[in-house]
Amino acid sequence: MTTLFTGPIRRRWDNYRQRPFARMVQLFIARIFHGGGAADSESLDLSVGLFLSLLALPGGFVSILLFNKYGSLLQWMQGTTDVDPYAIAVPDEYFFIVLSVVVTGVVAVWRWDSIFPDRRDYLNLVPLPISTRTIFFANLVAMLFLVGLLAVDVNAASSILFPLVVGATQNTFFFFVKFAAVHAISVMLASIFTFFAVLSVLGLLMAVLPHSVFRRVSVYARALVVISLVTLLSTSFAASAELQPLAQSPHSWARFLPSAWFLGLCQLLRGRADPALAALGRLALPALGSVIVAAILVYAVGYRRYFVRNAEMTETTPIRARPTLPRLRTVLDRLVLRTPVQRGCFHFVWKTLLRSEPHRLVLAGIGGLGMVLAAQALQRAFESQSDVNRALSADALSVPLILIFCIVTGLRVAFEIPVELRSNWIFRLMLDAGNHECEPMARKVILIFALPWVVLIAFPLYAYFAGWIVGLLHTALIVTWCILLTNAVLVRFRKLPFTCAFPLFEQHSIVTLLGWAMAFLAFAIVTPEFESWALLEPIRMIGFIPLASVAWYVPRRIRQNTMEIERQLIFEEVPTRAVEVLHIGD
Amino acid sequence: MLEAVRLTKRYASLPAVQDLSFSLRQGQVLGCLGPNGSGKSTTVKMLTGLLEPTRGMVLFNGRNIRDDLEGYRKLLGYVPEEPHLYPYLTGWEYLELIGTLRGMPRLQLEKKIDSLLELLSLHAHRHSVVGSYSKGMRQRILLIAALMDNPQIFIFDEPLSGLDVTSALIFKNLVQALGQQGKLVFYCSHVLEVVEKVCSDVLILRNGSVIAQDSVEKIRQVLGQSLEHSFLHLVDDVDTMSVARDIVSVMSAA
Repeated sequence: MTTLFTGPIRRRWDNYRQRPFARMVQLFIARIFHGGGAADSESLDLSVGLFLSLLALPGGFVSILLFNKYGSLLQWMQGTTDVDPYAIAVPDEYFFIVLSVVVTGVVAVWRWDSIFPDRRDYLNLVPLPISTRTIFFANLVAMLFLVGLLAVDVNAASSILFPLVVGATQNTFFFFVKFAAVHAISVMLASIFTFFAVLSVLGLLMAVLPHSVFRRVSVYARALVVISLVTLLSTSFAASAELQPLAQSPHSWARFLPSAWFLGLCQLLRGRADPALAALGRLALPALGSVIVAAILVYAVGYRRYFVRNAEMTETTPIRARPTLPRLRTVLDRLVLRTPVQRGCFHFVWKTLLRSEPHRLVLAGIGGLGMVLAAQALQRAFESQSDVNRALSADALSVPLILIFCIVTGLRVAFEIPVELRSNWIFRLMLDAGNHECEPMARKVILIFALPWVVLIAFPLYAYFAGWIVGLLHTALIVTWCILLTNAVLVRFRKLPFTCAFPLFEQHSIVTLLGWAMAFLAFAIVTPEFESWALLEPIRMIGFIPLASVAWYVPRRIRQNTMEIERQLIFEEVPTRAVEVLHIGD
Repeated sequence: MLEAVRLTKRYASLPAVQDLSFSLRQGQVLGCLGPNGSGKSTTVKMLTGLLEPTRGMVLFNGRNIRDDLEGYRKLLGYVPEEPHLYPYLTGWEYLELIGTLRGMPRLQLEKKIDSLLELLSLHAHRHSVVGSYSKGMRQRILLIAALMDNPQIFIFDEPLSGLDVTSALIFKNLVQALGQQGKLVFYCSHVLEVVEKVCSDVLILRNGSVIAQDSVEKIRQVLGQSLEHSFLHLVDDVDTMSVARDIVSVMSAA
């Protein structure tokens, strides 16, 4: 019976899908998920399901964590049974809006190359009997589809779970529906706003800058967007606190945050907004309309400038012919990089890090997070009541350690991102599997990247604020800890950076992530606490020696116990087998 | 008839092609030769309508192709120099996409894709993604994409790159057969022997201008030597043997 009705609809839909315009829309949607650009196989090609699940995960995860706060039993145990769920939900509502903004913004930056039609689309589609206007509208429809999908996917879990969690103390279904609807509208509109805002910023640069300049500037602009998003996320708790008394401090910086406008909209829809928040809420919809119009306009201009004139453009941007700092290169080659393999690979790795867009973006993201955390630590140090020696406070001492941790881990993550895998044949050809120089070379890259500037900045600053001895001791500790962390992150590293396929998600990936979180705790929080105490009596710094010895010995021991076959240079990671068939009977 | 009338293309102020004029009749296979940077690719892009000439025009049956670009492209089969395909689509899906966008009826399209894949030995790989194809396989996919709608005009830009011996032989015979069928074929290549064998006429470019245009036979007769020697004589005054000797001496120098 059902097929009687659905059959004709399905046939009609299938016919529609076969039309040229619909096929082009499908093509653009597929390329958004599978990646654009010139990359063929080296880009991280997640399946659509996995991609969407990963995006939905943060919202769901945070909602579940909030059970603790809203659970009626826990509230009863805490003696807070008479609570207004709308009032206590405001900071969390703000956090969900920020989360939605950040996840959508990161996706927009990450998929930027795939959203805009590129040279491959040009070469495949323009010679066909289709007008460039049709291609434009097909791409626009695909983009709008992506925005809608992102807005729903990123916020779907929180739109169901968060109202369920908040409504745990309320027995009415009406409360749940009302709360969920307003929450969903606010977070989804925030998502849409962010996507179009990112598109407007990048599209504007595309529309006004010459192609060669845009290619250079684009990566910095995207890095800046990522850093801004990371900053927004990491300051969301502070901003949320600023938003509560907005009526008393109408000039608060928080009113400039778009996330605050959507919180205002949410409170307006609930009828709970104070006048200041209501004023912000009224900005949300006009702002959303403006960015949508701006994004479509700059997108159209960019399309005309870049896509339609693609045939006139060269594929590569010329790189400065003169090498930068040739003397530094000579010094490095003579003193640090002992073998030809190390020299060749080091310069390859260094140039890739500086020129490859995905690597620069990853470094910018992790570096940005480091800067935000360091800035917060510095702020706490300045706000501390004790005037005795602010430079000796754990917060002040943690600043370089936080930055070092983020640089080292950022580089380690970047090493795993492949670049032009088709070109790695040269290394496969030149380096034999028994070559163990990749690890020392990677160590040198990390240390040269991380250490000099920290030492050059940290030492004079700490020496100036806390005296020569403290400056020297703290710098020595930073250098030692940086070397030990580098050693630790490179345990069992047997690849030449960027030449191996993406690592597999393995069973112990969660454990690894937890390990990194623990390492951050030990490196950037516990160490400065201990150091702060030790520096009051510098002799106490000796206490670090056994710790450092253990941190040096463990990776060394692991390295020694690793079998030769597990140390061989690899270009592909083979999944670990749960069961190994020995073929004894063969 | 396809005509290029005083085609000129400048990039910024640099001329890539200057006052290029030639015509391509029905059944003619016109080869286009020239060293790197001579303007071959720019010419191909203007003939396909990808690039708008700075001056001059391309006429098809007396009408400027830019007046009805879509209509013109419906009659055009193009194999570009670079096999930029969508790596996540299978060979069959890619061809089906191109056929749909060309407006081919579905049944005819599926039949043609299957037959052409079979003939070009790709049928067994039709459900593998293009990302896993070799360069030659991608080139064959592009060839099928150009052929399947039975267009009037063919523009081939280095079509043999990456093709194995059998496919290359098939292709050479195919070009001749297309000419015999009355199609217009513009064939750009560096491989002089192939141009000599499959093209009825040849156009030689240097620095964006035509320096010779005639039938292959006539060029050979006038210069009294093979097309390779005629090409070198016309295009470059380089003593290739002496350059090769110099390379070896630089190579073996301490």
